[in-house]
Amino acid sequence: MKEILLKTEGLSKSFSNGGLMQHVLKNIDLELYRGDFTVIMGASGAGKSTLLYALSGMDTPTLGQITFGQDVISALNSDQLAVFRRRHCGFVFQQIYLIEGMSVMDNVLAAGLLVNRDRKALVKQAQELFEAVGISRQIQKKFPTQLSGGEAQRAGIVRALINNPEILFADEPTGALNSSTGLEVLDTLSACNRRGQSVVMVTHDMRSARRGNRILYLKDGSVLGECDLGRYEHGDMARHEKLTAFLKEMGW
Amino acid sequence: MKKSFLIIRANIQKAKGQTIAMILLILLAAMMLNLWLMLSTDYKENFRRTHEQLHDSHVTLMVCSREEGVTKLLKERLLEDARTKQICMTPVLWATAAIPYNDGVASCESFFLPKDTALGREVGRIEILEESSGSGVYLPMLYGGDNHRVGDTITFSFGGEELSLVVRGYFNSPMAGSHNCAVTAFVVTEDVYQELSQKPYMYPSTLASVRIADEAHSQEYEAMAKNVISVDYPDVRAISNSYTMVTQSRYISQSTCSGIISAMAFFILLIALVVIASNVSNYIRENMKNLGALKAVGYTGRQLVGILLGQFVGIALVTASAGTGLSYLLFPAVNEMMIAQTGIPYQLRFLLLPCLVTLGLTGASVGLAVWLSARRIKRIEPITALRQGIRTHSFKRNHLPLEKTHGPLNLSLGMKATCAGLWQNVTVCITMLVLSLVIAFSGLMWRNMMVDIKPFTDLIVGETADSCLNVNSAREQEFLTALEKNDCVEKVYLYHSVELRHVGGLALTANLSDDFSKVNNPGVVFEGRCPKYDNEIAIAAKYAREQGLAIGDEIVMTAGGQEAAYLITGFTQISNHLGKDCLLTRSGYQRLGELPNVSYYINVKPEIDVDVFNEDMTKQFPGEINAAFNIQTVMDGTSAVYVSMMRTIVVAVLILSVCIVAFVLYLLVRTMLNSKKRDYGIMKALGFTTGQLVCQTALSFMPAMVLSLAVGLTVSALSINSLTALFLREIGIVKCNFLVPTGFIAIAGICLALVAFGLACLLSMKIRKIAPRVLLTEGGV
Repeated sequence: MKEILLKTEGLSKSFSNGGLMQHVLKNIDLELYRGDFTVIMGASGAGKSTLLYALSGMDTPTLGQITFGQDVISALNSDQLAVFRRRHCGFVFQQIYLIEGMSVMDNVLAAGLLVNRDRKALVKQAQELFEAVGISRQIQKKFPTQLSGGEAQRAGIVRALINNPEILFADEPTGALNSSTGLEVLDTLSACNRRGQSVVMVTHDMRSARRGNRILYLKDGSVLGECDLGRYEHGDMARHEKLTAFLKEMGW
Repeated sequence: MKKSFLIIRANIQKAKGQTIAMILLILLAAMMLNLWLMLSTDYKENFRRTHEQLHDSHVTLMVCSREEGVTKLLKERLLEDARTKQICMTPVLWATAAIPYNDGVASCESFFLPKDTALGREVGRIEILEESSGSGVYLPMLYGGDNHRVGDTITFSFGGEELSLVVRGYFNSPMAGSHNCAVTAFVVTEDVYQELSQKPYMYPSTLASVRIADEAHSQEYEAMAKNVISVDYPDVRAISNSYTMVTQSRYISQSTCSGIISAMAFFILLIALVVIASNVSNYIRENMKNLGALKAVGYTGRQLVGILLGQFVGIALVTASAGTGLSYLLFPAVNEMMIAQTGIPYQLRFLLLPCLVTLGLTGASVGLAVWLSARRIKRIEPITALRQGIRTHSFKRNHLPLEKTHGPLNLSLGMKATCAGLWQNVTVCITMLVLSLVIAFSGLMWRNMMVDIKPFTDLIVGETADSCLNVNSAREQEFLTALEKNDCVEKVYLYHSVELRHVGGLALTANLSDDFSKVNNPGVVFEGRCPKYDNEIAIAAKYAREQGLAIGDEIVMTAGGQEAAYLITGFTQISNHLGKDCLLTRSGYQRLGELPNVSYYINVKPEIDVDVFNEDMTKQFPGEINAAFNIQTVMDGTSAVYVSMMRTIVVAVLILSVCIVAFVLYLLVRTMLNSKKRDYGIMKALGFTTGQLVCQTALSFMPAMVLSLAVGLTVSALSINSLTALFLREIGIVKCNFLVPTGFIAIAGICLALVAFGLACLLSMKIRKIAPRVLLTEGGV
């Protein structure tokens, strides 16, 4: 029996667009489990990123409830949500979003010091994470604009993991990267998941989606279907076929 | 042209808040610039206009005699002088009078003349401004308003005698309309004049009003005219004024006020320029891609700089016009404050020149600031700008790496932001340095004028005591014996003022004493020492500078037809005589002549009522005491105008300072929020709360603020006396020794820093509107 990490009931999100209401998410009931690598797929405008941001407490739903453990996060105010995010969530963005005026190490420590005030321990942990993703000490001292796309995204992953989040949210983490650096980032995320890290990733890329064990397909703001791929193993062709079939069924 | 206008409109719409704050700063600067120009040009010119309109004198000489020999000699000598254009000699009544004024009294050498005579004089006629019918007195405009209303009864004190008259109206007289003129006119109805003629304290005298060819020579002419009397008639008392002296003394408040306003105007303009330069710099950084795009479609660098120039100079000119208009709305209040000291009515009218200068100065300085900070647009390569923009971070150094920096996270991040914001720090530093000076000046005025006025009166008035009694020399010993026996008396010393003339120079007021070690304010001599022997003299530093005299030089003085040489032992500064005074020992003066009467300054015991004491002494020596003053009430009367003016200025300046801090912080915070919107979004996504980000933003201003305040306040506290002396040099002050209220300055500085921190927090609250979802909705912000 899998442990439910995050649960939504009747989750809806609407935006006003020039006086017209645009319903991006419609009445979504969903459960996300601890240790899973959940991938949210769908066409452009399906509401993937909106769902991710709502699940992670970056945005508030228009209707419905989101529960994290015993806590109803959809009822929290913006500051309570900030505290929730720093304690329980890590984020990897498509645009990376490192702070340009800070070095790579400072970007990581700025997030880490929010939760852990033991600076020494934090620096040590950051070093270990940097080592794990292949970022040298020299790169750690650089500013974000001096990094390659892959280096920057791996630095972003370190920043996301520095507070040992219970859940790691990734929004198209390879979207702005070339093929080889994208692969490095996916390997890093897979490695994290193997170590027990729960991951929720939004993507529209088949190659990325294959890394997940559970695929959710969104269409017009609703979960149209889901597919269980099982744990990712390198070179597992059956998994690829299964995903292709699922996506075909979903109208991909 | 149309495209440029569209770009300007888009720029303004994008930064509405910053534009409004900038407009307010320019509005304030232009308003104060125009106010200063109005005060320093036409307001003072008003004196000359009124003077000409009333065909007033350039030199007024009041001679305490109507003897034909005296008046004939005077007229002949004056007419012989090639500089003389016109003379009018009128019989008047002379008395040393004191009248209630501003909760104290004004003591003045007064002359009384009938209304018809006063209105019909060929030189120095008066202008009646308000009147009612009936018998009574017409007062100079200065004593009108809240002091004495038409129909009220005014009581004149002449030594021990008092006389009450009904106020029938006010008049304007540039050369004799204030106790600051040395001679003060009081116009009476014919019946009152006849009544006054019978009073023993009224001396039949002659008033000579002279117009000369060049008013710039009025002081030399005055000295010559006085010399005419003192040489041939040494026993005849004469008192005089000159055009130069009167313009200075009647416009002290105007000079002070316009000086402060001009300083504030330039300070605000400087701050506005720094803010504009900072805004232009930020604009270029934030709009690098747009600028690149505009260049790519064919705009030249010159055109883009021109658009910015057009935008900012256009705003500056429109705003400066509004500020100029605003100064006309504010002027009546300033005018009222000025008239309380000048006593000369001023009719507000539109002044083109100050207006043009204000517009020109504002537009040109804004243009220069914009051009200097926008020049680099010309160097932008369109392809570079389009690809990534020009990175403003130098990447040379990671200031305060979090890995090594200890202390709270918010503080560390705030400090990092400080290190990264050069323009922000420059703007804050300049603002705070300027405001430090304002705080130090306000503190100085508050401490030395409002809390305890003694340092101010010591500097302005010079010597002060409780009572001043003028007694005939014939009864001097008896008078002194009586004072020695009087239990009310703590200290008595001779302090008598007479007129002398520096041979080859000007007329000086000499303060005489038997022993200057007895005086209450030895600080009058600020360099060198007081005279001890009969061949020594201390002279006004301002006069010494003008004449090129130094301590140790010999100077020849003349009075009563006698001449004597004196060695300069020290420099004095007493603004009462506008830097034309000297100190002599009594024996020193006796080398020139004898004193028919002498003034003694008396300190009475604290519990003694000075007015009662004066009355008792006057009764004890009937007819022998020529004048009795409660010095404190005289000072209260004259200083009230300055204290009230300074209070208004200090309050206005402090309010203005807080407003300036608010404007500047608003501009800086808004700029920071705009340029760091993406960073704030990221940090919120990472789990920073609004409070933490607000705190970081406000803290990022504090190092520059605290440092510049500390440096500014220290430097200001150390130099404020010198700066104030510079400010007061026109009225004879060379060196100020005001008490510097370090406590007040420190507390005001701390309060300003706290207010600024609070304001920065308040202004940064807009961060709460930046939601992490901007990262989603704006796709990279």
